[in-house]
Amino acid sequence: MLNLVWLVPLFPLIGFIITGLGRNHLGKASGWIASLAILASFVVSALIFIELKTLPEDIAEHTTGSHVVHLFNFINTHAMQIAFDFQIDALSSIFLLVITGIGFLIHIYSISYMSHDEGFGKFFAYLNLFVFSMLLLVLGANYLILFIGWEGVGLCSYLLIGFWYKNIAYTDAAKKAFIMNRIGDLGFLIGMFLLYSKCNALDFKSIENMMPTLMNDPSYITAVALCFFIGATGKSAQIPLFTWLPDAMAGPTPVSALIHAATMVTAGVYMIARSNFLYSVAPIAQQVILIIGLATALLAATIATQQNDIKKVLAYSTVSQLGFMFMALGVGAYTAAIFHVITHAFFKALLFLGSGSVIHAVDGEQDIRNMGGLKKYMKITYITFFIGCIAIAGIPPLSGFFSKDEIMMHIFTHGTNGKIFWILGMLAAMMTAYYMFRLLFITFHGTYRGKGHPHESPALMTMPLIVLAALSIVGGFIGIPEVFGGHHALNAFLEPILLKSQALQTSIYELSHQNEILLMGVAVFIACIGITMAWFGFKKYNAADTTKGIAKFAEDKWYIDELYDKVIVKPLFGISKWIEKIIEKAGIDGIVNGVGRLIQVGSTKIRLLQSGLVGFYLFMFVLGIILLFALQMWLVKF
Amino acid sequence: MNAIVLSGIWGVVMMFAGLFLKSSKQIQWTALLGIIALLVVSILDYQAHSVQAQTYFGMMTIDVYTSWFSILITACCAMYLLIFHKDIAAVGKNEAEYFALIFFVMCGVYLLASYSNLLILFLGIEILSIPQYILAGSDKENIKSNEASLKYFLMGAFSTGLLLMGMTLIYGATGSFDITSEKFVGQFEQLSSMSSLSFVGILLLLISFGFKVSAAPLHLWTPDVYDGSPTAFTPFMATIVKVSVFVAFIRLFHFSFGNVSDAWQIAIASMIVLTLIIGNVTAVYQQSLKRMMAYSSIAQAGFMLFSIFAVNSTLAYKGILLYSVVYSLASIGVFAVIIKMKDYTYDGFNGLAKKQPVLAFTATVCLLSLVGIPLTGGFFAKYFVLSAVVEQGKYIWIVVFAVLMAAISAYYYFRVIRSMYFKTGEAAMHTEPTTWDKTLLILNAMIILLLGVLPSLVFG
Repeated sequence: MLNLVWLVPLFPLIGFIITGLGRNHLGKASGWIASLAILASFVVSALIFIELKTLPEDIAEHTTGSHVVHLFNFINTHAMQIAFDFQIDALSSIFLLVITGIGFLIHIYSISYMSHDEGFGKFFAYLNLFVFSMLLLVLGANYLILFIGWEGVGLCSYLLIGFWYKNIAYTDAAKKAFIMNRIGDLGFLIGMFLLYSKCNALDFKSIENMMPTLMNDPSYITAVALCFFIGATGKSAQIPLFTWLPDAMAGPTPVSALIHAATMVTAGVYMIARSNFLYSVAPIAQQVILIIGLATALLAATIATQQNDIKKVLAYSTVSQLGFMFMALGVGAYTAAIFHVITHAFFKALLFLGSGSVIHAVDGEQDIRNMGGLKKYMKITYITFFIGCIAIAGIPPLSGFFSKDEIMMHIFTHGTNGKIFWILGMLAAMMTAYYMFRLLFITFHGTYRGKGHPHESPALMTMPLIVLAALSIVGGFIGIPEVFGGHHALNAFLEPILLKSQALQTSIYELSHQNEILLMGVAVFIACIGITMAWFGFKKYNAADTTKGIAKFAEDKWYIDELYDKVIVKPLFGISKWIEKIIEKAGIDGIVNGVGRLIQVGSTKIRLLQSGLVGFYLFMFVLGIILLFALQMWLVKF
Repeated sequence: MNAIVLSGIWGVVMMFAGLFLKSSKQIQWTALLGIIALLVVSILDYQAHSVQAQTYFGMMTIDVYTSWFSILITACCAMYLLIFHKDIAAVGKNEAEYFALIFFVMCGVYLLASYSNLLILFLGIEILSIPQYILAGSDKENIKSNEASLKYFLMGAFSTGLLLMGMTLIYGATGSFDITSEKFVGQFEQLSSMSSLSFVGILLLLISFGFKVSAAPLHLWTPDVYDGSPTAFTPFMATIVKVSVFVAFIRLFHFSFGNVSDAWQIAIASMIVLTLIIGNVTAVYQQSLKRMMAYSSIAQAGFMLFSIFAVNSTLAYKGILLYSVVYSLASIGVFAVIIKMKDYTYDGFNGLAKKQPVLAFTATVCLLSLVGIPLTGGFFAKYFVLSAVVEQGKYIWIVVFAVLMAAISAYYYFRVIRSMYFKTGEAAMHTEPTTWDKTLLILNAMIILLLGVLPSLVFG
C-alpha cells in the first residue's frame, strides 16, 4: 500500500481536472465528484496509516519509521539532482488523515453551503486543487517538493479568498494574502538556497544525516532555521506577517474552515516539525520562535476579544492558537505542536463551519451585534458550536484541554524563563476562553436582533458539524498524559521521526505527577474565569455600547495595518514612482528607443551601398579585399 | 561516391526528359524520383564508407562526416524539390532544364563535401556556380531576372579569379594541389615556417569563399541576385548551395590551415562583424519580404562563419551541421509561404493568419527558428556555433556582439509575425496551397521543432 501513496494526491488532481474543465457543464455533480475524490484519498490515507502502524517493529526501527517512495527524477542535471519523492512516516500519515478527513467533511458541507453560488463548479475545482497541493506539501520528501505544495496552497488560498472577485475589497484581501505569503516564501527560498549551497541536497534524510557535520557551524544552522521560520510566519500568520489572515475571511466560509484554520495555516508548523533535526540544534532560532509565538498568541487574543465580525473573531483566534503551536515548537515539543494542530483542526473547523451555518441562517449577516438568541432557532448548530467553544477553552475532557495542556507543561519546564512564559501563555488562554464565550453568548443567547427568520441549516451542513463535534470531544484521547494513566499514543507513534533531535535535546518534560495535576487544575480554573467573565459581560448584550480606551485600541487591531501602510507600503510606493519616472522612463526606455532609432537610421544609410551598379560593387569588392588584408597584416605581424 | 555519378547522370536524364516527356507533371515526377534516388544512394554511400577512404586517384577523401553531410544536404534538397517542384516548373518553358541544372548543382555539392585536392575544390565551386547563373536568369522575359543573372556572373567571375590566384600562390609555396600530401601539410604546420606566398594565398581563398557565402564586405551581389531571381530558385541558392560552400570552407580552413589560424582569424573576425552588422541592420529597413530574406541570409551566414572561426572544435563541426539543416529548412519554409503570396511586402502578409492559418503557423515556426528562440532548432544551432567560440576562448566579445545582433534580427522576423497575426488585411494569394503543400509545410515545421528538442539527431 505504501508504494501506492501517489494515489493520495492523484485523486484530488483528477477531481480538479474534471471539475475544472466541466465547471460550466457539470452543474451540481461537480460538488459530488470533488467530494468523492477526497473520500478516495481519505480511504487510501487510512489504509496507509494502518499499514504504517502495524509494521513490524524492527523494520520500523531500521528505517527510522519513514519510507521514501521514488516517483521520478524531477531535476536531473549533472550539477543538480532532485528526485520527485514522497516520504511516508508517522508525521506525514497523520497530516494525510487530517487533510483528507476534514477536507472531505468540508467538501460535503460546501455542496449545501455554495449551492446558490454561480461559481459552484469553479469553487470545487479550486478546493480540489488546494487539497492536491496540500498533500504534495505534506508528502514531499525534500524541501523542493514541499515548496511546490507550499506555493500551490498559497495560490489556491489567493484564488479562494478572492473567489467573489466582483467585490474589490475581497480581491484586495486576496492580494494582501498573496503578497504577505510571498514575503515569507522569499525567506523559505533563501533558506533552501543556503541549505543547498552547503549540503548539495534538499531531501530530509540526507540533511538529517549531515547534521553532525553541519553542527560545527552554528551560525549557519541558525541562519537556515530562521529563513525557514520567516517562511513559516508568512504561511502560518505569525508576527509580523499575520495581518493577511483576518482579511482572508473574505473567502467563502468553508474555505476559511479548510484553508485558513485546519490545514494550510498549519503548514508552517508541519514544516518546522519536519525540520526538527535542524531546529533542535539552533537554540537561538528556537528562542525566536518561542517569543514570536507567545507575542502572536497574546496580540491576536486581545484583538479577538473586541471583534464584532463572527469570522474575524475566529480568525484572530486561529492566529492566537497558531501562536501556541509555535510556542511548542520553540521549546522543542514537536509532538505537542502536532497534537495541537490535530485537535485545533477539529474544533476550529467545527467553529468555522458553525459560523457558516449561522451566516447561512441569517442571510449572510456576519456582524454578531445583529444576531443573538439563535439558540432556539438552530439547536444543532448551537450545541456543536458550544462543544467547539469548550474544546478550545481547554475544559477537560475535550480535546483542546489535552493538547494545550501538554504545550503549557513543556513551556513551564523549559529553561529558567519557562515560568514567565507559562504565565503569559495562561493569560492568552484565559482570553481565549473569554472571547470564545463572548462570541457564543452574543450570537446564541439573548434575543434576536436581526431581520428575517433564522432557520436551521440542512442536514448536509449539520452532519459535518456533528462529526466534527464528536471528534472535538474524543480527539484528545490520542494523547492522554501518563498522569491519567494513559500512554501517550501520539507520542509513541511520532517518536521514530524525532529520534535524532531527541538525542540532541531532551524535550520530555520532567514534572512530578502532583505538580502536573496542580498545573492542570490552575489551567482549568483560569479557563473557567474567562468563561465566567464572558457570562457576566455578555449574557445580556446591548449592541449600542461603544468601546473606548484599550478596548478600542484592540478593536482597531492595534493599528498594525495602518502602521504597515505608513512604514512600508507608502515609502515603497514612493520609491517605485521615482524609479518609474527616472530609471524606467528616462533611462531604460531612452536607451532602448535610442538604440532602435540608431539602427533604423543606420539601416537607411547602409542601404545606400546597394546602388545596383556592378562597377560600384566591384569597386567595393576591391576595397573590401584591401580592408581585410590590411586588418589581418596590421593586427598579426607576419 | 556513387551520389556524384548519379547526380551527374540524372542531370543528363532530366535534359532528355524535356525532349521525350510531354507533360510537365511527368517531368516533375522524374525529378522527384531522381532526388529520392540520390537520397537512397547517399545513404548507401554512408554505410559503405564507415572508414576514411580516398577515391578518384586520391583526389577525394570520403569519411563519415562528409558522407553524413551529403545525406543531410540531399534530404534538404529533397524537401526543397517536394515543396517547390510546381513553382520551378512554372518559372518558364524549359522546366526540364531547370531540374537538370539543380542536379548538376548537387553534383558540385558532393564534390565540395569530399575534395582532397584544390583542383576538385575549384571544379566543385564552378559546377556549383555556373548552373546558378543560368537559374538566376531563367525568367527570361523579366528584366530583373536577366540583370540578376548578369550581375551574378560578372561578380562570380571576379571571385573565381581570386580563387584561382589564391590556389596558384599556394601551389607556388607548396608545390602540390593535394591537401593531404606531405609537402602541403608541412607548409602549414606552423606559422613561422609558412611562406608569405601562402599567407596571401590563404587570404585570397578566404575572400573567395566569403564571396560565395555572401559575407560582407563581399556581399553586395546577394540582395540584387536573390531578389531578382525567380522566387522558386532563391531558396535553393540561399540555403543548399550556401551551406555546401560552408562545408568546403570548414574543410579547408580547419583541416589544412587550422594550425596557422593566426594568419587568417583576424580577417574572418572582421568579416563576421561586418556581416552581422550589415546583414541585420539593412534587413531592418526592407519592405519586401523576399529582399528581407536575402539580407537575413547574409546575417545568418555571419553566424555560420563562427564555425569556421572556432578552429578545431568538435562543437563547430556539430554546429555547422545543425545550422545547415535548420537554416535550410527554416528558409525553405518561409520562402514556401512567400511564393504563395501576390504581394511580397509586409503589408501583403496582413491578416494571413485568419485566411491561411497553416501557412501562418508554419512560417511563424520557421521565423522563430531563424531568430533562435528555444524549442526551435535555430536555438541550438546558434548555441553550438557560439559555444564553439566560447570554448576556444579567444575573442569572446564577438559572441556578445553576435547575441546583440540576434536581438536586432528579432525585429524584422517578428515584424512578419506581427503582420500575419496582429494586423488586419486581405493577404491576397498568388496560388492557393493544396492539402499536400500544407502537409509538407507542417512536416517541415515539425522537423524544426523536433530539432529544437533533440538536436543530436543531425549529428549522426
